[in-house]
Amino acid sequence: MAAAAVGARALRGTGRPVLRAGWGAGWRRLWALSGRAAAAASSPVGASSGSGALSPFDRRLKRKQKNWAALQAEPAKCDYLREEVGSRIADRVYDITRTFPLALDVGSGRGYIARHLTKETVEKLIQVDIAENALKNAVESEIPTVSVVADEEFLPFKEDTFDLVVSSLSLHWVNDLPRAFREIHQVLKPDGVFIGAMFGGDTLYELRCSLQLAELEREGGFSPHISPFTAVADLGHLLSRAGFNTLTVDTDEIQVNYPGLFEVMEDLQGMGESNCSWNRKPLLHRETMLAAAAIYREMYGNSDGSVPATFQIFYMIGWKFHESQARPAQRGSATVSFGDLAKIDGLLSRGKK
Amino acid sequence: MSGRGVWLRARTRLRRFPALLAGCGEQAAAYGRCVAAAAAGTTELRRDACLEEFRALQDCFARAAKATPK
Repeated sequence: MAAAAVGARALRGTGRPVLRAGWGAGWRRLWALSGRAAAAASSPVGASSGSGALSPFDRRLKRKQKNWAALQAEPAKCDYLREEVGSRIADRVYDITRTFPLALDVGSGRGYIARHLTKETVEKLIQVDIAENALKNAVESEIPTVSVVADEEFLPFKEDTFDLVVSSLSLHWVNDLPRAFREIHQVLKPDGVFIGAMFGGDTLYELRCSLQLAELEREGGFSPHISPFTAVADLGHLLSRAGFNTLTVDTDEIQVNYPGLFEVMEDLQGMGESNCSWNRKPLLHRETMLAAAAIYREMYGNSDGSVPATFQIFYMIGWKFHESQARPAQRGSATVSFGDLAKIDGLLSRGKK
Repeated sequence: MSGRGVWLRARTRLRRFPALLAGCGEQAAAYGRCVAAAAAGTTELRRDACLEEFRALQDCFARAAKATPK
């Protein structure tokens, strides 16, 4: 516990005047401060250079939705997707044969990554989430954990603090994704690594198309009900613009079968993934839902009567620069030419001698 | 629309939908086929392109809702 106290003191000395990390009783104060900062910073005045972000998401509503989801009678009922992705991220952490003294979990929810990690890999973990109920109901893990209520875009930590930052399925609701990546890059130590997973591209395309066609046929027009997702090419660009090196981005598709459209929407709500875009339509007519359910079953249904819902997950790994990291060789330093590829056997045997 | 009561009642009503819809599989499939065909066609999907199929589906659904006690 002495180490934890020292760590807390070190983190409290953050250079930014607005946000102060307060452990324990200071939780709510921290949220109130970063809430004001969020409101001030995300107003589309375009004061900060290079962001130009329009803030498509209502973060206060997202917080309420996540709090509601965490207070459900059986919070573990809708956790399957996050559990699966959390375990895959933990696999990627294990692939890096290092021990991380201090790690950060951005948008942790009820802690889906911590339960798969061991004390040998991560010595101390700080979990950050926008919803305090999720943190309060967090699952036990063997790693000593501290929970902080904060917004992913306004991390209240000093520069060069963490050896490892993980983030599982929470960055797709962030208003200013470039800024969130920059913040993560900033709080990482040199030679630190960021391992993240977020929904992308084709996620829930069946639901999106069914609702779109139903609204077109029933109401004559349609409005977006699924939030926009990042494309994989953009993700690479965003990460390198934020300063990460040695990027790895790979995609994975998880298909979950449901009895029908209503069950899909109910589980999405239970996961805290309800729509919170500012431009969402507040009302979905019952007729439209009925029509969408029929279209979903007919266009995408499986032979056994269930309907699939596709979740496309992008996993990304990015490193913060350090001199010890491998760098591409200088131009003109090659000793062998590609034209000699046909004689590779001769070259290899010459090398062995 | 305000107040918790409205929201809770709406959710209870909504929870019955999958069961009621299960009994109208034929009409739902017919409607789905009509929309898929209209969307795949050369012209854009217009409003009420599959009106008859939807009315059939709605009638079946309403009958199922009246038949089963709440």
